[in-house]
Amino acid sequence: MSAESPQPPAVTVENLTKVFKAGLGKAAFTAVRDLSLTVNDGEVYGLIGPNGCGKSTTMKAILGLVTPTSGRTAVFGRPSTRVESRSEVGFLPENPYFYKHLNGLETLLFYGRLCSMSGKELKDRAREMLALTGLEDAADRRVAGYSKGMLQRLGLAQALLHRPRLVVLDEPTAGVDPAGSRKIRDLILGFKEQGITVLVTSHLLEQMQEVCDRVGIMAHGRMVREGRLDELIAVENETELVLADASPELLAEIRALVESRGHGARVVRSGHPRTTLEKLFLEVADQ
Amino acid sequence: MSASFSLPRIRTLAMATVTQLLRMKIMAFLLVFCVIVVAAGFAFPVMNPEQQLKLLKDVSLGALQLFSIVIAVCATALLLPRDLEDRTLYTILAKPVPRHEYLLGKLLGVLILIGAGLVLMDIAFSGVLWLRQSLVLAQSVAALQQEGTATPEAVAQLKEFVGRQGLTWNLHLGVVAIFFKAAVVTALTLMISCFASSTLFTIIIAFLVTILGHGQGLIRDYFLTGHAGVVKKLLSALLAVVTPDMGVFDVVDNVINGETVTPGAFGFMAAIACTYLAGYAVVSHLLFVEKEL
Ligand SMILES: Nc1ncnc2c1ncn2[C@@H]1O[C@H](COP(=O)(O)OP(=O)(O)OP(=O)(O)O)[C@@H](O)[C@H]1O
Ligand SMILES: [Mg+2]
Repeated sequence: MSAESPQPPAVTVENLTKVFKAGLGKAAFTAVRDLSLTVNDGEVYGLIGPNGCGKSTTMKAILGLVTPTSGRTAVFGRPSTRVESRSEVGFLPENPYFYKHLNGLETLLFYGRLCSMSGKELKDRAREMLALTGLEDAADRRVAGYSKGMLQRLGLAQALLHRPRLVVLDEPTAGVDPAGSRKIRDLILGFKEQGITVLVTSHLLEQMQEVCDRVGIMAHGRMVREGRLDELIAVENETELVLADASPELLAEIRALVESRGHGARVVRSGHPRTTLEKLFLEVADQ
Repeated sequence: MSASFSLPRIRTLAMATVTQLLRMKIMAFLLVFCVIVVAAGFAFPVMNPEQQLKLLKDVSLGALQLFSIVIAVCATALLLPRDLEDRTLYTILAKPVPRHEYLLGKLLGVLILIGAGLVLMDIAFSGVLWLRQSLVLAQSVAALQQEGTATPEAVAQLKEFVGRQGLTWNLHLGVVAIFFKAAVVTALTLMISCFASSTLFTIIIAFLVTILGHGQGLIRDYFLTGHAGVVKKLLSALLAVVTPDMGVFDVVDNVINGETVTPGAFGFMAAIACTYLAGYAVVSHLLFVEKEL
């Protein structure tokens, strides 16, 4: 891996532990325990897990928004504690919110200036992002009046504004209508084509299954399963035989063959011999 | 601590702070101020001319000082908790924005707002004072003429006397001193809000420290010369250390009495204000870097 690409991975998390200290006399809470993960350049990495398992906390640590209790995080090889590490990252936090008194366009201009963009380039890019996220009509309305899904879209526009090489999306589809959520999925697939790395969490596992190259499943602050999506959801002791245009007679013949000469082998089912990410999630979450 | 300072970025943050505060309708106090000044200027025509002008200055500069400190504390105390609760801080700090630039932007924003407010109030106050002064002069000259004692010398003397009690550059220096004080209070409040857990707590502590700071000279004397017990001495020493010495900026009374502020005294005030600002800003940064978001 490192032999092929001299470039550092997009995200490295090494033995991250985050303990939230409570007030006096209350027990501290460990949100993330000894978590390690790597997101390689150009891949789409999905982080899934039950509510409160530490996904958002991990993302905030990667962005340098929370200080790790122990362990290290880095973006493109630069430690998250350094400001430069954030220059090529776009972050969409969960339930994003913005200055109420600004309108959509002003909000994007504000964030663009923070990324050292300016002038016509910034204006054009802001308009482009508003169009991309379907907010053109709301561009001159105050953010205070935005609905949940609109805020989410604005958050996405803000994250993509400065053409980052890595986008970190914390539940990008939360509160977004089905059409919008499909569009976000297509957007992520588009990133993959452009070589933009994506780290994403979502509870919409069907969509995650469609976009992710690799997934990590977290529970209680730990990584419990991690791997390439196709490997994770493949079933080990089963074999897939993909036939095209097979007639029912042929299938019946194959079945008969397995029964007569299979030496204990049997046809489990025909169709799609894979578990779904959803099944896997439930299985892991139950453990 | 990386020492990057991007002026455009700080300006962006400061302007966002100014608009944020403006849209909170915080400048409404300007209207209240104008009403107070006009009332103080024209409501008591029975007093003698000298007293009238003095009262106008007393009330106006007092209100100016009170407003600037209240704005400094309340506006500043609202800023960080707002951004934290609204989670705007996440998106801002997820951009390549160093935390010290964010803090500086907030501080500058409040200072710009207070500065602009003081300029507007100074203009309103100067206008009323000048009107009142011309009126007083005209009345007094008329009175002299009625008595038949309006010799050129007497009129000149009257003019000089009223002029000293009226509008002078010195008064503006008094307003600048008020700005210094408000700036120190702003930085102090920002520092408190970096570790405080609630807005109310910030406001209360900031006012408390500000009020104590006005008596810091007394506390210090007590510590240095008093014959109190060890505990009291330690306590007073602690108070003297944690509170800013607001007495340094109290030139308003002298200004009202017509005494001039010397360039030396003014420079001293400016230097003290800058020292406090820098000190509080550095401590704020140290606190804010460690802050859990
Ligand atoms: N600032 C904080 N102070 C104390 N505890 C916190 C803080 N932030 C998060 N936690 C706790 O850490 C745990 C992990 O939270 P986190 O937001 O990372 O979960 P999540 O995996 O994103 O969940 P969800 O799917 O609901 O978004 C939760 O139990 C939460 O209560
Ligand atoms: Mg979350």
